[in-house]
Amino acid sequence: MSEDQRPERAGGAPGSGSRVPDPGPRPPRVGVFVCHCGINIAGTVKVPELVERVARIPGIAVAKDYQYCCSDPGQQMVRDAIKEHSLNRVVVACCSPTLHETTFRLASEEAGLNRYLCEIANIREQCAWVTEDRDEATDKAESIIRMAIARAVNDAPLEPVGVDVNKRAMVVGAGIAGIQAALDIANAGYEVVLVEKEPSIGGHMAQLSETFPTLDCSQCILTPRTVEAGRHPNIKLYSYSEVDAVSGYVGNFKARIRQKPRYVDFDACTGCGLCMEKCPGRAESDFERGLDKRKAIYRLLPQAVPNRPVIDPEACIYLQKGKCGVCAKVCPTEAIRYDDEEKFVEEEVGAIVLATGYELIDPDKMPNYGVGRVPDVIDGLAFERLLSASGPTQGEVKRPSDGKAPKKVVFVQCAGSRDQEHGVPYCSKICCMYTAKQAILYKHRVHDGEAFVCYIDVRTPGKGFEEFYKRATDEGVTYIRGKVSKIFRRGQKTVVWTTDTLAGKKVELEADLVVLATAVVANPDGVRLAKELKLQLDEHGFQTEAHPKLRPVETLTGGFFLAGVGQGPKDIPETVAQASAAAAKVMAMFGQDRLFHSPTTASVDEEVCVGCGNCEQACAYSAVEVDPKRRVAVVNVALCEGCGACAVACPSGAMSHRNFSKKGVYEMVDRA
Amino acid sequence: MTYAYYPGCTLYTKARSLDLCARRAADRVGFSLEEMPSWVCCGAIFNTAQDDFAARLGAQRNLVWASRLGDRLVTLCAACYNVLKRAGARLSDPAHAEERERVLQFLDEPYEREVRVLHYLEVLKNDIGWDAVREKTVKPLAGLKVASYYGCLMVRPAEVLDFDDPEDPQVMDDLMRTIGAEPVTFDFKAECCGGYLVVNRRDAARDASAKVLDNAKSWGAEAVVTTCPLCQYNLDRLRKPGGIPVFYFTQLLGLALGMPKEELGLDVNSGDPAGFLEKKGLL
Amino acid sequence: MLTAKSPASTLRQIEELSGQSVADCYQCGCCTAGCPLAEVMDPGPAQAIRMLQLGRASELLASDGIWLCASCMVCGSRCPRGVDYAAIAEACRALRIRGRLGRVGPESVTEDECEEVPQQAFMAAFRKFSG
Repeated sequence: MSEDQRPERAGGAPGSGSRVPDPGPRPPRVGVFVCHCGINIAGTVKVPELVERVARIPGIAVAKDYQYCCSDPGQQMVRDAIKEHSLNRVVVACCSPTLHETTFRLASEEAGLNRYLCEIANIREQCAWVTEDRDEATDKAESIIRMAIARAVNDAPLEPVGVDVNKRAMVVGAGIAGIQAALDIANAGYEVVLVEKEPSIGGHMAQLSETFPTLDCSQCILTPRTVEAGRHPNIKLYSYSEVDAVSGYVGNFKARIRQKPRYVDFDACTGCGLCMEKCPGRAESDFERGLDKRKAIYRLLPQAVPNRPVIDPEACIYLQKGKCGVCAKVCPTEAIRYDDEEKFVEEEVGAIVLATGYELIDPDKMPNYGVGRVPDVIDGLAFERLLSASGPTQGEVKRPSDGKAPKKVVFVQCAGSRDQEHGVPYCSKICCMYTAKQAILYKHRVHDGEAFVCYIDVRTPGKGFEEFYKRATDEGVTYIRGKVSKIFRRGQKTVVWTTDTLAGKKVELEADLVVLATAVVANPDGVRLAKELKLQLDEHGFQTEAHPKLRPVETLTGGFFLAGVGQGPKDIPETVAQASAAAAKVMAMFGQDRLFHSPTTASVDEEVCVGCGNCEQACAYSAVEVDPKRRVAVVNVALCEGCGACAVACPSGAMSHRNFSKKGVYEMVDRA
Repeated sequence: MTYAYYPGCTLYTKARSLDLCARRAADRVGFSLEEMPSWVCCGAIFNTAQDDFAARLGAQRNLVWASRLGDRLVTLCAACYNVLKRAGARLSDPAHAEERERVLQFLDEPYEREVRVLHYLEVLKNDIGWDAVREKTVKPLAGLKVASYYGCLMVRPAEVLDFDDPEDPQVMDDLMRTIGAEPVTFDFKAECCGGYLVVNRRDAARDASAKVLDNAKSWGAEAVVTTCPLCQYNLDRLRKPGGIPVFYFTQLLGLALGMPKEELGLDVNSGDPAGFLEKKGLL
Repeated sequence: MLTAKSPASTLRQIEELSGQSVADCYQCGCCTAGCPLAEVMDPGPAQAIRMLQLGRASELLASDGIWLCASCMVCGSRCPRGVDYAAIAEACRALRIRGRLGRVGPESVTEDECEEVPQQAFMAAFRKFSG
């Protein structure tokens, strides 16, 4: 929890438009503390000389230096100086404020000084680390400190803002990540709204045959979770629905959910399946990865939760041409509704977990692999369907072109991954393991079959993973080190050109079936949603966590949490761990009665404001709106992130920034 | 419309009949190729050594001369296209401004304007349009299953040539379709025929070419069509006699446009190309 | 330029002439896998780059493999790291050719071939291989 969320401080209501508070007592009594940071600063900046210069600045009551100000004795030095010299402003010249601003602000407050009267002068990242000449660095450090002093002198004491928390959560995406997060939050006693765009929940895990490294049947370990999520009293499941928009702010969100028309009455339908038996309409099944067709009225799998079919309007003969209507005729409970329409629902929640998952890269990016042209070249998820007992071939491995059992299967790793030129530059993390699994399973099904894996590396970073890879080679899978260059047709065979880099020779393999471990990419629907919500994405469309090492399930936007592959490629155990972690963060939020938000926010002088609306346009957080009746801008301080864009955009100067006023900035520039 | 035209050495001499066929086909389709009043050898292959600026001079000289005539230069040969376009890109690259100055100083002539190097196929697709070509087709090559072979110089390096998809180009297939033939999809459209290795390693070129033909046949092709006289030679002449015919694209274009047999340059192909076309009812 | 600023190591010369950086190569072997001449090229493209990575540039310069490149550019076109082996092979040959150690000349061609083969092939071959 950040410093601003400590419960001791209670603040003004959101939306207050008061003037900038009075900076406080004059003349200022400023204490400056210069940190050596070992040799990080002191190795470049001449600290003793700097301290002498600073001490001579008017208004400086005390100037000290110390090896490591952030240490306990360092902080104690600051606290003692505040009391001893009756300081009313503190400047700590050290590293970036992102590291220790909170540390020194809390220390100041412990000594009785309002924490917002303590400022940081970054003389490390912005000075010592980027300057070679020592005198130049020392001059620059002095300049930076002078600016920080000017800023501190113009600061006013502030109190963090408190907001209420709606202790309901929303989880977007009901793959294993979303399901896990929803169950954890629900089991803690909070209500969860779970939204899934497919007709039923389970995500890609529902398409898998077995999971590595235990070879557990995927459905067998997934369905207990899906069933629990489907019937949990605290989980409100919206399947076949999407989140269109979210307004509000942390603790107080309003989500607009679009329920797509099922054309089936959810309550009347019993899931008996007669309609699906009789339906004559056909379409390509996405779930079967193009290996099979499905009916126009369909469900994704027999164990679907919820067990209610949907009609695909493009494939339905009745909805397209007005003919047929067989499903309505045979339905024993008259549950078919051809006149169904999309519905919109609003849900109010306090926290949102994104679990939007992944897709596999479009194989059009690799035309040299021949997908769509050369017969019997499929991707990893398609092979899972071939292996799956509920798949298009009932678990018998048969190749798509002629339905014969392939006697020689070549698995191609890194199809699109680790390829900055044609695919994605990153490693997709799961393919080495699932390829080993698929090769092992293939050998179990086709006893006289030969399996080859073409790889660049074999990455086995989890528990039992290296042993699993050894099992693959023990069971006769041949690993050839080389990246496949081309896949083409020769008569009835599919030929693979690769290299055996370890032997130094080009290798040609004549296969019956080729399985590509294609790159994992962010789900495009997840990308769209994140952009709509103004959440950060990296250049590949994966959601950006607040800190890559220490905050992997939070985002920089309050109230939004991340779980699963939507945040980056990972396997099932990592996904589940991350989902539970996200749930824990949500529960931590819900465990408090109020949330606290930094008060260094924008502020409107209503006497001066004419309601032009420039600020509203400039705001990236939707934190300021023009009140249509009063024609003045109103800032929602709970949403405001204090970026200052509105203050810059304001033509009349009505908008200012608490503790970053125009006057303060000009003074900083003058005194630098 | 008239375009400045660069024939290149082979089309000017040994494959002269192909050059004539191409020009006459152009006339029928609605554009004309006017040979540059003066031109030199382009070099036949682009030298990549960064400091080998002398090797690029020939091609760049041609572009400088062409710049006096207009902003485009059309060529028929994939190799010339490759060299001229890459040499031109080098001349116009701001990262090599110093080299450009040296070159122009040496040539002692101004580069009046940036010259866009076009292949005959690009003119057909972008300037004439397939609809116009279809209109002028009097003898659609119905029933001819032909594999369009582009070779490597036509499409790589893709970032400079920007000609078509380097792994699965379509423009010649589009032409074949437009003149009524059945383009056959296959996997070796842009794999190397062996190229200039025919000089010192004829066996290697033979093997490379054989792979192309085998793959085309595997997909049901009864003929192959090319855009480079060297590819045509390698595919056609290095194998044992009696394989599927290998045409040059302007031969099939001319045939479809109603040009008489004598103007198609069929002396260039091995075996009995006329006999093959007659049997298919196309001649 | 190789004259006034000639770097000490052969590898650096090769990298300068080719505009490629051998450190970029992670030895996946895709270049060798797609090379139309790989069966007869020794060392093949990936191996050749490995030799350069391990300080065996002189060995590569003395090898036969670099004289078998057809400049078809499939290697560079498919490399996941964007390394163009054809340019590297050409840089190696250039260093040999400038030391008057070219491999092909007019004597390599018979009169019949001269008659029959499109002359662009001779132009190109001599450009790449003759010193």
